[in-house]
Amino acid sequence: MPFPDVKLANRPLHFLYLCDCSGSMAASGKMQALNQAIRQSLPGMAAVARDNPEARVLVRAVRFADHAAWHIEAPTPVEQLEWRDLQAGGITAMGEALKLVAAALQTPPMEVRALPPVLVLISDGQPTDDFSAGLESLLRVPWAQKSVRLAIALGHDADLEVLQRFIGSEPATAGRSPRRPLQASNATSLAQYIQWASTAVVGAASMPASRVSETPLEPAAGNIPLPDLPPTVLDPTDDVGPLVW
Amino acid sequence: MNWILPEGAWLGFEGLAAPLQIIRGLGGGTQGQVYEVELEGERLALKWYLPACIARDGGLEQRLVASIRTTAPNDDFLWPIALLRASPASRPLIRIRQESFGYLMPLRPPAYVGASEHAAGRLAIGLRQVLRACFCLSDAFHALHLAGLCYKDVSLGNLFLEPGSGSILICDNDNVAVDGADHGAVLGTPGFMAPEVLLGQARPGADSDLFSLAVLLFRLLTRHDPLKGQMELAIRCLDEPARRRLCGEDPVFIFDPVDARNRPDPIEHAAALITWPIYPRPLQALFVQTFCRGMKQPSRRALTGQWKQELARTLDRRALCPACDQENFQASGAQALCWSCASPLPEPITLSLPRGAVVAGPDNELHLHHFDALAGEDLRRPLARVVAHPQDHRRLGLRNLSTAAWSAEAPDGRAQPVQPGESCSLAALARIHTPEGPIAVQRPTRPSPAA
Repeated sequence: MPFPDVKLANRPLHFLYLCDCSGSMAASGKMQALNQAIRQSLPGMAAVARDNPEARVLVRAVRFADHAAWHIEAPTPVEQLEWRDLQAGGITAMGEALKLVAAALQTPPMEVRALPPVLVLISDGQPTDDFSAGLESLLRVPWAQKSVRLAIALGHDADLEVLQRFIGSEPATAGRSPRRPLQASNATSLAQYIQWASTAVVGAASMPASRVSETPLEPAAGNIPLPDLPPTVLDPTDDVGPLVW
Repeated sequence: MNWILPEGAWLGFEGLAAPLQIIRGLGGGTQGQVYEVELEGERLALKWYLPACIARDGGLEQRLVASIRTTAPNDDFLWPIALLRASPASRPLIRIRQESFGYLMPLRPPAYVGASEHAAGRLAIGLRQVLRACFCLSDAFHALHLAGLCYKDVSLGNLFLEPGSGSILICDNDNVAVDGADHGAVLGTPGFMAPEVLLGQARPGADSDLFSLAVLLFRLLTRHDPLKGQMELAIRCLDEPARRRLCGEDPVFIFDPVDARNRPDPIEHAAALITWPIYPRPLQALFVQTFCRGMKQPSRRALTGQWKQELARTLDRRALCPACDQENFQASGAQALCWSCASPLPEPITLSLPRGAVVAGPDNELHLHHFDALAGEDLRRPLARVVAHPQDHRRLGLRNLSTAAWSAEAPDGRAQPVQPGESCSLAALARIHTPEGPIAVQRPTRPSPAA
């Protein structure tokens, strides 16, 4: 006879991409590289979601250029997600994007109970609107305060200071360097960071992984201990691409 | 996935006479990557560590070497077979600059699926198989602890189940160490870690294994977490500080007989409320022991031998509801109702044995430990199995799975031999004599429909 038809209670884990779609993203194939990186990461993300029955992984995406708008507005289960390509063109309304996300993280529409949301900001340039006001309204929302915030800088023109303010400062702890925006200088490293954020970080935020003694049991800041970054895998065939930013 | 070891390549390793072929990558995580490999015609698994993992865990190599020397406590462990370092000629083929190593272990057969599939309710598995898996898990840890070792990182992620039989495999044995010898970096997995380890007051060892084992058994048996009740519902964002409070600073078992602060919610935690009453009181009592007194007093936790005994007894009590066919495990004697359909359960035929009693339910088995006081509980080699008659499923028989003939005795004293592989009808017999000892067939005072 079958085991009773019952399931472990789970909590939603909201994962939000904030994607820079300004005109500069059209250069050197950056926009295509980002679309590819996200699309390629989805099967791995779905597998992590499947392995973590305590979490219901729901994905959304915001695009920002002249204005910020939802690219995927409804929180979508990762296994049902189809990534439509983002198009580049316009300026960098990053502050507006943060306000859009701030409104989405209010309860309601946010559930009363959830896992820490994961926000991933990807940008290749400098905000052209009031970033500080956007960040301020975001960080007023309790769910945003609890969120795991990551930033990926595309190429060398990205504003690292702004991205650092988005993720917040976390001082160096024993054995761990301070958290910094991830710098993707080519398509391979971008894909690795997107994969890391959508698998390892989702895993850490949804179901705790094994702890080793150097992981601080009481994190100094940030409420989820972040997993190691992916190792640099040497593969000459991967590194020779047309995309060198 | 970026594979560190190139798929399809033949790599030489120090200490291996023949080169080994990397067949394909199987998976990877923050510790390393696992590959299917072929060595001299045999398929094996190879775990290759990331340099960051080796750097963090100074005792890793030493533990692996020690484990390889001691060999596996029993067959349920995917135990390290050999430590591998690339030969100088193969090193350039490894796509990572820093020095690293890995170990060979048996390859997990495809029929074994991750225990999280069961936790998520995606696995077709029966209660008997789940209880058998729990028994095997307790048995494996019994063997491990008796060997003086501890596992340190018990969690759903390290267990695989074969849903047809309830067989298990335990992977990630690279944290195993001699209990008390503190050369390991792992602390455990939050949610499974003993409170004293989570709070940093103790290092993981055999006592904390007993807590983690109980959590894993509870999660397998109930598809719920022993500490997630009302107190979890009061938490909005379940992050690290919240988990620390819930599982470390103020942990309360959801079925604590005294402290009712963390009772399951009828809607959110329905799984626990539906499944917990299925199990007999003596089995529930081991959870209460571990999660109440044992919560703060590690030496009070139920031991692996106690789990083995009570899980084996629970399986011995298995009876099918005549109305809905669902499996029930209630103690004999009491007038019981089916947990699933609430029909009254008839008193079953019972096989009375020198050591205990087994309800005559289809597929229930007799083992050496039912006869021999010195034999530990072991479900691997059944001596007899209750079977339904091929034509009339309501008529039950006992099949001789041993290698010796039995003598089946009718109520009038006439005896008949039962050869290995043959079955005898329980309706017609009073007693069966086996080389291991006698089996007395006890029919209920009221005739049950099954008889």
